[in-house]
Amino acid sequence: MVKLTMIARVTDGLPLAEGLDAGRDPQDEFYKQQAKSIFKNLSKGHNESSRMSIETGPYIFHYIIEGRVCYLTMCDRSYPKKLAFQYLEELKNEFERVNGDQIETAARPYAFIKFDTYIQKIKKLYLDTRSQRNIAKLNDELYEVQQIMTRNVQEVLGVGEKLDHVSEMSSRLTSESRIYADKARDLNRQALIRKWAPVGIVIAVVLLLFWVKNKIW
Amino acid sequence: MGTENPGRPSFPARTAATPFAAAPPQNVMPFSSSGPLVGSEASGFRPTPPAAPQPTVPFSSSGPLAGSQSSGFRLPPPPRYNDPSVPPPASNVPPTGGPFQRFPTPPFPSTVQAPTSRVPPVGQPIAQTPAPPVSFRPQPQIPPVPMGAPPQSVNSAPPNVNVPYSVSDSSFPAPMTNFQSSFPGYARMQSNADLQPPPMQSPFPSHQGGYAPAPPTSSTPFLSHQGGYVPPPPVAAPLGLQSRDQMQYPGSGAPGSIQGLIEDFSSLSIGSVPGSIDPGVDPKALPRPLEGDVEPKLFSEMYPMNCNPRFLRLTTSGIPNSQSLASRWHLPLGAVVCPLAEAPDGEEVPVVNFVSTGIIRCRRCRTYVNPYVTFTDAGRKWRCNICSLLNDVPGDYFAHLDATGKRIDLDQRPELTKGSVEFVAPTEYMMRPPMPPVYFFLIDVSVSAVRSGMIEVVAQTIRSCLDELPGYPRTQIGFATFDSAIHFYNMKSSLTQPQMMVVSDLDDIFVPLPDDLLVNLSESRSVVETFLDSLPSMFQDNVNVESAFGPALKAAFMVMSQLGGKLLIFQNTLPSLGVGRLKLRGDDLRVYGTDKEHMLRIPEDQFYKQMAAELTKYQIAVNVYAFSDKYTDIASLGTLAKYTGGQVCYYPGFQSAIHGEKLRHELARDLTRETAWESVMRIRCGKGVRFTSYHGNFMLRSTDLMALPAVDCDKAYAMQLTLEETLLTTQTVYFQVALLYTASCGERRIRVHTAAAPVVADLGEMYRQADVGAVVSVFSRLAIEKTLSSKLEDARNSVQLRIVKSLKEYRNLYAVQHRLGGRIIFPESLKFLPLYGLALCRSTPLRGGYADAPLDERCSAGYTMMTLPVKKLLKLLYPSLIRLDEYFLKASAQVDDFKILEKRLPLAAENLDSRGLYLYDDGFRFNIWFGRALSPDVAMNLLGADFAAELSKVTLSERENEMSRKLMRILKKSRESDPSYYHLCHLVRQGEQPREGFLLLSNLVEDQMGGANGYVDWILQIHRQVQQNP
Repeated sequence: MVKLTMIARVTDGLPLAEGLDAGRDPQDEFYKQQAKSIFKNLSKGHNESSRMSIETGPYIFHYIIEGRVCYLTMCDRSYPKKLAFQYLEELKNEFERVNGDQIETAARPYAFIKFDTYIQKIKKLYLDTRSQRNIAKLNDELYEVQQIMTRNVQEVLGVGEKLDHVSEMSSRLTSESRIYADKARDLNRQALIRKWAPVGIVIAVVLLLFWVKNKIW
Repeated sequence: MGTENPGRPSFPARTAATPFAAAPPQNVMPFSSSGPLVGSEASGFRPTPPAAPQPTVPFSSSGPLAGSQSSGFRLPPPPRYNDPSVPPPASNVPPTGGPFQRFPTPPFPSTVQAPTSRVPPVGQPIAQTPAPPVSFRPQPQIPPVPMGAPPQSVNSAPPNVNVPYSVSDSSFPAPMTNFQSSFPGYARMQSNADLQPPPMQSPFPSHQGGYAPAPPTSSTPFLSHQGGYVPPPPVAAPLGLQSRDQMQYPGSGAPGSIQGLIEDFSSLSIGSVPGSIDPGVDPKALPRPLEGDVEPKLFSEMYPMNCNPRFLRLTTSGIPNSQSLASRWHLPLGAVVCPLAEAPDGEEVPVVNFVSTGIIRCRRCRTYVNPYVTFTDAGRKWRCNICSLLNDVPGDYFAHLDATGKRIDLDQRPELTKGSVEFVAPTEYMMRPPMPPVYFFLIDVSVSAVRSGMIEVVAQTIRSCLDELPGYPRTQIGFATFDSAIHFYNMKSSLTQPQMMVVSDLDDIFVPLPDDLLVNLSESRSVVETFLDSLPSMFQDNVNVESAFGPALKAAFMVMSQLGGKLLIFQNTLPSLGVGRLKLRGDDLRVYGTDKEHMLRIPEDQFYKQMAAELTKYQIAVNVYAFSDKYTDIASLGTLAKYTGGQVCYYPGFQSAIHGEKLRHELARDLTRETAWESVMRIRCGKGVRFTSYHGNFMLRSTDLMALPAVDCDKAYAMQLTLEETLLTTQTVYFQVALLYTASCGERRIRVHTAAAPVVADLGEMYRQADVGAVVSVFSRLAIEKTLSSKLEDARNSVQLRIVKSLKEYRNLYAVQHRLGGRIIFPESLKFLPLYGLALCRSTPLRGGYADAPLDERCSAGYTMMTLPVKKLLKLLYPSLIRLDEYFLKASAQVDDFKILEKRLPLAAENLDSRGLYLYDDGFRFNIWFGRALSPDVAMNLLGADFAAELSKVTLSERENEMSRKLMRILKKSRESDPSYYHLCHLVRQGEQPREGFLLLSNLVEDQMGGANGYVDWILQIHRQVQQNP
């Protein structure tokens, strides 16, 4: 069954609409955050494939990207993949029909929040997997979902994380090497001082003695 | 200003008072023998001692300044003038052009304190010298006291400097006539050019020479030598900051006319004959707020970029610069905020979209960008006005600065020019997508509710409002009813009829359906309508007398917890089953007047408070509508509204025929007014001050974050601030109110109001800038809170005590030097404070004892007053009383002339003429009072055939005659001007007891009633207490 439905713009990850299904469960909150980081990853252009399923814990995310808009839903693992994608297709068609021309100009988050009533309505149709309508859809051979890739959420989010990690490491490397260079220079100077200081002091003392001697005598 | 006056803070309040307390006797003594007023000075000035205040004698009331000046210049001064502290004339010359505040400090190190307030005098309304006494007193309503204007600086003047005006003082105690007679002579003196008006006398001695007003006609040689500060002509002296600019004009500048420096406070004469034991006050002369609430102009004029006072009002716009000063201000120091106040057309708050750049806020204190931030570094940096941290300007927001340091795109940036602005919130400000407006109705259907007709009115009203509910098409709606069981209604859009589900297990509440109890209104519209149509008939035969209110509340909470929203509870029978069961309280008379009395006004059962906390957490606001004719424990039920930002509406003994219209209007208003959902509010202020306590209906989420599940334009919140640092070094304190909310249309927004207020170093300035409306608002909230923890008596006393303390403090500032022995003096800005204080003590939550108001009415009025905005509260405290019959008899040409509504009468029975017809309007109801000798014509025209009948049974309706139409128009007009509550109309005839008593007479706050004081007695009482030594 569908737990979560979100629609966001791919170019900048701006959320456009969301279903009213947000429970107060802290666990749901966690998955919602994951969904948001997926959007963020998408906006960075890490995942190009327009259809994908991503496993996470007991749930699975399905998303389709069409016309620079990402339609994402989260279902139980047992929920038929085929139905989930048909659900998203249906949302996509309606969303494009209603808001298609304003998607690019939307400037504020949840600009199309009014779409949630439609999401709610469609969602109810897909709740029961054994209803006549849904069984018919499942049997519809024309809609092919087999080749849609399934990956793990760690992988998906990991790509971004790894890149971040690498860049972070490299930047850390730069700064540390700079620190190293500074320190080396400092040490050199100290070594020099240590080496010549005694000699200098001796010479100074001798000169002083000479001077004193000249003064007195 | 504070910083320029280093001497000042080192004098603690009390010690500052002592020197001058001792001073007058000292000073007066030498002169007492020389007769009235002038003697001493004149003798210093001229050899011939003049005889008292005769018009012919020049200098009869001569300014002390003149005396001392002349002594410095021409004559061998009297010994006293040799006093070291009176500086030689030479040193009197201040640095030319220097601002006025500055010069006293350097030249007069020996004068113990620099005069505290140099700013105020200039800003004052000016007294023209030649004018008759009236001109000294800006308030015409207190005619008998001509000398109402002692200056401020007197307070700190050291004894020796006092000399001159101790002389002038002596004119004060003199009987009025005597005093006035001195004026002609006085006027004549002007031509002699070295005198000034009495009001000026006193300010100057302390910094004589530094500040010499020029006479109107000619300037004498020594005056010009004086070189001191000469105030500009009075015409051009407005209040506030501008006056400071003017002060910078160098000395001999404007010889145009004498500018009197009038302290703007009033003094009331008590006891026209000195020494009379039984002082008489002229009741007509007492100040009355007949113009209603006047918003403080000063505040917005000084800082034109401040938000409108309808959003934010400070109790005083002069913020004290030190803790010791703040502790001498005995009134509350704080603000009243009404974040969503209705703005008239054309003044809507502009909406700014910052989504591309992110909202510009200070890194450290999180202040939003506002008109008071300054841009530096060619526009790359901006300085936060609250914490003065230098922030970077994001690239997208960058704009070049012009020559004056202003951004060139200023006119396209409302957030940099307007005090109130709304930002569109980006995703970081959302915990979840913006919620839709949700309305859930929980309706009592027990037998008493059915009988009262409440259900029918509610169902009809909701049905008629369905089109206007905000947030179409997302609005969600749901219903549940309860008696001894709870009934849910499945309103799925595919059904034609709603299905009712009954849950009678009250111990273990469950919700019978996961969804479809709360449905989308636009989809299930027809089902909802069918339900509302059938609701009244469904329960018409119900004989159930129980009420499972607590369990029903829990069930409603479960249904709503997914989304939050507004929960409207219609309650008629005291909760008797399940959790939250309530007992009859308050019928034990022995409790009243004891220490346990306040327990009746707070909830008995913790259930309600806990429930309210839960509800707030899930963004649910509760509005309680209570209808019972018996005790229903509003104290407990109201808790739900109190902590969830809701409101309590109480219709005691509801009958649909009488109260139906009121309920219809108020429920419709509640449902259709613009509402802000799932909001939080925070008020930030500059360094050194902090808001510490908040008063109103909300839940505090952290120390300064108010959680408000729903806010609307009729809700205001009060808060008090304290000084954290002993001395404020800044010149200005900024306040910023930020309300983060979801609008009904589904946008998340941040509404930001910014205001600035000057820091002042002296108490007089604080008094001048006080805002009586805000003070009274905070006062009443404090007093109502006090009734929840102590006796009514104590709450009233605390109000009185604080008024007395503040007047006493004010008196200490001015009175002693002026020997206003027999007078009450109070600041002009707070002249209505005593009256409002009295009205507050007689308002429903605080009045009398057990018998004076039913417990439930007391509590509900208390809850209501905690939310009222300033204007509304003042109207409730001092309602308007208007005479109508004269208006009716006028020619019909003035039919649409509503000026009559502005002709308010003082609220005293003596103003009720038995031949008249009066309208009393307190913002919640109309009472129309028919005089006994009112011409039967009028009554007949208005009431028709039953004009002689008992008026309690008569309802007013429009009839076929001009008079009746006129009345209806007036009522309609007043209702329209104040739509937040419906004014229910009561008719009462003179002498018709007891209705006349509780409808009208007990509300005439100026009259004595039962144990309560009348206005005159109250003033006298306060006066006596003020006079008592500390």
